[in-house]
Amino acid sequence: MDLFLAGLDILFSWQILVAIPLGLILGIVVGAIPGLTSDLGIILCIPLTYTMEPTVAIVTLLAIYVGGTYGGAITAILINTPGTSANAATLFDGYPMTQKGEAFKALTMALFASTVAGIIGAFVLLFAAPPIAKVTLMFGPAEYLALAVFGLSVIAGVSNDNILKGLMGACIGIFVSTIGLDVISGAVRFTFDNTQLRRGIDLIIALIGLFAISEILMKSKYDPRIDRKVIDPAAITRCKVTAQEYKRCRKPIALGTLIGVIIGATPGTGGGLAGFISYNQTKQLSKHPETFGKGEIEGIAASESANNGACGATMIPMLTLGVPGDGATAILMGAFMVHGLVPGPMLFKEQGNILYAIMLGLVVVNVCLWFAGKFFTRFYAHITRIPFELLACIVLAFCTAGAYSTNNSMYDVYYIFIFGILAYYLRRLNFQLVPILLGIVLGPLAEMNFRRALMLSDGSLSIFVTRPISLAFLLVAFASVVVFTIKGSAEKKANRSSR
Amino acid sequence: MKITYNSEIVAGFLFTVIAVVLFLLVPSQIHTLETTEINAQTVPRIALGGLGIFSFLLFLQGVFLLPKKTLVFNEALYATRDFRDAIRSTVYIAIMIVYVVLFSLLGFIAANVYLIFTVLLYYRSTKKSHYIVAFSVSAIVYLVFTVGLNISLP
Repeated sequence: MDLFLAGLDILFSWQILVAIPLGLILGIVVGAIPGLTSDLGIILCIPLTYTMEPTVAIVTLLAIYVGGTYGGAITAILINTPGTSANAATLFDGYPMTQKGEAFKALTMALFASTVAGIIGAFVLLFAAPPIAKVTLMFGPAEYLALAVFGLSVIAGVSNDNILKGLMGACIGIFVSTIGLDVISGAVRFTFDNTQLRRGIDLIIALIGLFAISEILMKSKYDPRIDRKVIDPAAITRCKVTAQEYKRCRKPIALGTLIGVIIGATPGTGGGLAGFISYNQTKQLSKHPETFGKGEIEGIAASESANNGACGATMIPMLTLGVPGDGATAILMGAFMVHGLVPGPMLFKEQGNILYAIMLGLVVVNVCLWFAGKFFTRFYAHITRIPFELLACIVLAFCTAGAYSTNNSMYDVYYIFIFGILAYYLRRLNFQLVPILLGIVLGPLAEMNFRRALMLSDGSLSIFVTRPISLAFLLVAFASVVVFTIKGSAEKKANRSSR
Repeated sequence: MKITYNSEIVAGFLFTVIAVVLFLLVPSQIHTLETTEINAQTVPRIALGGLGIFSFLLFLQGVFLLPKKTLVFNEALYATRDFRDAIRSTVYIAIMIVYVVLFSLLGFIAANVYLIFTVLLYYRSTKKSHYIVAFSVSAIVYLVFTVGLNISLP
């Protein structure tokens, strides 16, 4: 209770109350621009938060995250292009509603569903995270290694194309995390006699390169004469959501929120998967499933409530276990570390007041989402008209300034482009980047605890299987890899036979 | 000349070679005074060993189990959209490399002037408004970092 009140005290400072609406508007704008995502918005804004107080910085980034997840619905609805992967399921009914002249109604329902689910997800985080953190205080090095292995096993979930590519990505990420000085022995690793590499590769630098630069390079094929999609402003009418429609959408929102929270709390999943599952379930349970896909407002309510409900829940494994729930929370984890907050159970013990301020801040962010969206929705439509060629210049300027400002070093600028070019070619070879990111984030945790555990057990590997929690995590990790591999093979066989 | 390939063969082969080379470099790149079996070299060896094994398996998967594409090197290839896209992406990467060099030699402002002109021309943009907005935003970014955040840029 003391921490709760201390958190409230930190939260209601003028800096945070100003940062929240600014972060939301920025997040909605970034999410609404095709070619940018909330992940990219967070990455680009992390360097801007270096001089902020940790609580202000993290709450700002959370506002960008939440705003971006809703903002992606704007392009999904208006131009049939999801702004983020979390909004993919909103396409099915969002764009057909625009074609029927009901774009404003679709945007309003997306906002309402996102707000309700987001608030509930934030409360779930607030009440579920502390008890989980208390349990994790019992963890020793063996449990932390098993946890890191479990976190890496979620690669199986995100390697939707090929599990081998996901595992290769994880190995690449772990290798990159070992470059520099070894924390335990002080040995220098893979620096090739370059003193700049002794401090290793900064996580933020890797993020900017892997995601931002590679995304710009992926658009090298973009041709404005062919690929540009333009919205007709007349499509945004003043058609409002009726009381009857709000009533019809109660069940889809409730179901979507529940699915979003459960899926979000499971590492390796995220809002995109939650959105699809919620949409499918709502359609199956509906009395009129034939209307889905043709402009059914319940479809929008289902997918948007799930993806925003997942926003708060994905923070649970990140804050309590130090294992990111999805790509966005992996990026947020980097932001936490930049500000001296190391996610995990010790954070609750040592800086509980700051953590409570952040969790309460997420509740306030979701409440403010309603107002930010309500007043500015008709203006957001014009954001989608910003040409990508202009965005590319702006994003690159931000990336290089942000990278340089991390350590005032040109080498960081070199690294972001090296990572970006490598990531571009990896994406062309159908590799996912999230496994690499997971390897970079979890590699140090895995290595340190692996070596500590073996020091405690005098070199015996049995420590990892004789401790019950460690064994449980390892078994779940193994099972998830097997299940996803079998599922992936079955889907590939089904695709081949249907051709 | 004709080659058959898929992304698994290419990625598998490349990363097998990279993993083997880096694995062989471990003793020369990691000098540790630890005498235990588990030391500073262990996790890099595990990561590189894993990369080598998985990439070799990927290579085998690509060769024996997955469908392949055929690439025929003739004049018709050079007229395809894929070839043009490959050239365009190479040019784009070259633009970025020059940008980084200019950033280190001439500083943020000069490098961004180059970047804006080349990228907008790359996308065949001739609208003056694009150039004005891009220059303005670059100036704002410079001011935000140098004046607002007190971080000096080159």
